[in-house]
Amino acid sequence: MTFFTDAAAFLPVLLNGLQVSAILTLLSLLFGLPLAGVLAFGIMSKNRVARLIAIAIVEVGRGAPALVLLQLMYFGLPDVGITLSALASATVALTWTTAAYCAEYLRGGLSAVPAGEIEGSQALGMTTADTLRYIIIPQGWRIALPSLMGFAVILFQATSLAYTVTVQEMMSQAYSLGASTFKYLTVFVLAGLLYAVISIPATWLSVLLEKRMARHL
Amino acid sequence: MIENPQDRLPGRREVVRVRNLAKSFGENTVLSDVNLTVLEGTVTAMIGPSGAGKSTVLRCMNLLERPDSGTIEIDGHVIDAERRFSNRELFALRRSAGMVFQHFNLFPHMTVLRNVSLPQQRVLGRSKGEADERAMALLTRMGLADKGEQYPNRCSGGQQQRIAIARALALDPKVMLFDEPTSALDPEVGLEVLEVMKELAASGMTMIVVTHEMSFARSVSEDLIVMADGGIIEQGDPKRIMAEPSHPRTQEFLRAVLQR
Amino acid sequence: MLLTVLAGIPLTISVTAVALVIGTIGSLPLLFGILSGNRLVWLIARGIIDLCRGIPIVVWMFILFYGVTIGGTKLSAFGAAVLGLGIVSAAYLAEIFRGAISSVAAGQYEAARALGMTPRAVWGDIVGPQAWRVAIPGYTTYGIGLLKDSSIASTIGVAEMVFRSNSYARTTGEGITVFLVAAAIYVIVSVPVGVLSRKADEKLSAVVAR
Repeated sequence: MTFFTDAAAFLPVLLNGLQVSAILTLLSLLFGLPLAGVLAFGIMSKNRVARLIAIAIVEVGRGAPALVLLQLMYFGLPDVGITLSALASATVALTWTTAAYCAEYLRGGLSAVPAGEIEGSQALGMTTADTLRYIIIPQGWRIALPSLMGFAVILFQATSLAYTVTVQEMMSQAYSLGASTFKYLTVFVLAGLLYAVISIPATWLSVLLEKRMARHL
Repeated sequence: MIENPQDRLPGRREVVRVRNLAKSFGENTVLSDVNLTVLEGTVTAMIGPSGAGKSTVLRCMNLLERPDSGTIEIDGHVIDAERRFSNRELFALRRSAGMVFQHFNLFPHMTVLRNVSLPQQRVLGRSKGEADERAMALLTRMGLADKGEQYPNRCSGGQQQRIAIARALALDPKVMLFDEPTSALDPEVGLEVLEVMKELAASGMTMIVVTHEMSFARSVSEDLIVMADGGIIEQGDPKRIMAEPSHPRTQEFLRAVLQR
Repeated sequence: MLLTVLAGIPLTISVTAVALVIGTIGSLPLLFGILSGNRLVWLIARGIIDLCRGIPIVVWMFILFYGVTIGGTKLSAFGAAVLGLGIVSAAYLAEIFRGAISSVAAGQYEAARALGMTPRAVWGDIVGPQAWRVAIPGYTTYGIGLLKDSSIASTIGVAEMVFRSNSYARTTGEGITVFLVAAAIYVIVSVPVGVLSRKADEKLSAVVAR
């Protein structure tokens, strides 16, 4: 059973990398989600300029592969005099991706609040700001929540691409272990299982949440 | 025949005045030159075939639908659709009219009590304690004292509609607008809503009710408006119109609904 | 410089296309599995789908490229790339198709069966066409997503757009323009799709909300 003895030797190194993967995921969510909220309102704004700017940021963030954004931030930005550390540039790139995707999920959630409830609020004489604050946002956010959780899983998986910009996350640890021991299959399978062990239950959780929401709303 | 209600029910204040109301959606003219007056403390029923524009009149009255032209006056708050008006004027008008929708439009993420108390806090600036107290009093009056902590979706349709009535009443409106309040309900469930509405009418509330309930229109309302093709074709004493309608479209409509 | 990036387009497209074919074909057995009434079959299909989606694409590619030898020969970079993308796609597409099938109202099955149609006709003439119409937007969106994911093939040396941009950046030491160009090409392809789906969404919600 060489797989298991090798795996036991590789595991601590990979878990170190996994910590970095988790940190990168959390940082991207921490900065990306508030930005997504701003962009969602930007997209729905009546102000043409605000709307176009928001749409441009969202479309580029969703249209360009995360891998390209990562490389742009790490290899490209130094050309214009901005040099960021590997982790910082990866955070900037994945924050952009997060903000762009989550802005669309939030917009979808906000616009899924039934028109009748908005009319109900208006007919009561509630102001637009109050309607947003008490009726649209609390419900829209809940409708978007399962998609946001689903995205968080995809984001966690996407951090594996940060190895291309020398972030010391799990994939980069796996790659150097592979290169030094030539046990590529073992180390990559082990890394894959570690990703799966986190991703699969997280996905179940988001599906469960979606079902519960569907029952209550 | 269009009667002015003042002729029949003299000495009452005109609390709602709609003048020259017109509305079209694109090519489609929904309302043209609608005029109506509602006296304080009376119940006005609006009937007519679907697509006649009854609901649109109601929705224009609190500017859920922006009319193309015409003026709307409720309890002294006047809005001229062709002029610019401030949000302050808009909210003042809406606060003077409570609205009850066909599909209730309760807020599903709040408890029944919050549904009734939150608008009081936000719109009238009442304290939470005050708002909750008023909400409980109204829910009790609606026979829903035990539903306060439930969520609306756990309540039956009839209960939800009574909650919606309580929600609107809690803001102390001058006029209550009912947009087919029983159409989404089973007939017997509709009865419990109609009971509440009768009680409300007896207490002296000014009400405008778009409805298909002919017996409510006949026995509860004091003024009847018949609409067809985006205009008012007949207005007057409900019993008189039901017994001897003067307009051929009214005759046709009443024959269709009463012979069912 | 522009030519360097553009020269990668054929490989970007062929990786995407071949992976989509592999994914679509691979999704079918998984789809039957999760629609199956047999609990064991369902469980196995469910497990495979979760595992395929649970492992990042780059890990699949590395496993296939560095770790797998068939009869003494390694997979080519292209082979590992399309197979890695295909495995993940099969899982996602099976879910997309399942969602579409379950969106067809139960009344449709009942009506078709009540008319005495054979199961084959029920699926082929009634449920299938309706489900396919529902699945098209999801399938298209997934295809565009796959185009972007094909960039991951650069990590194992497939000379598609990102790989070429990357080597250009390394040899000339000038990175910003080349990656901006690459990003722009991906965005140009995906924006029309994004705009269309937002339009469709607005239309749909306008109809549903009323």
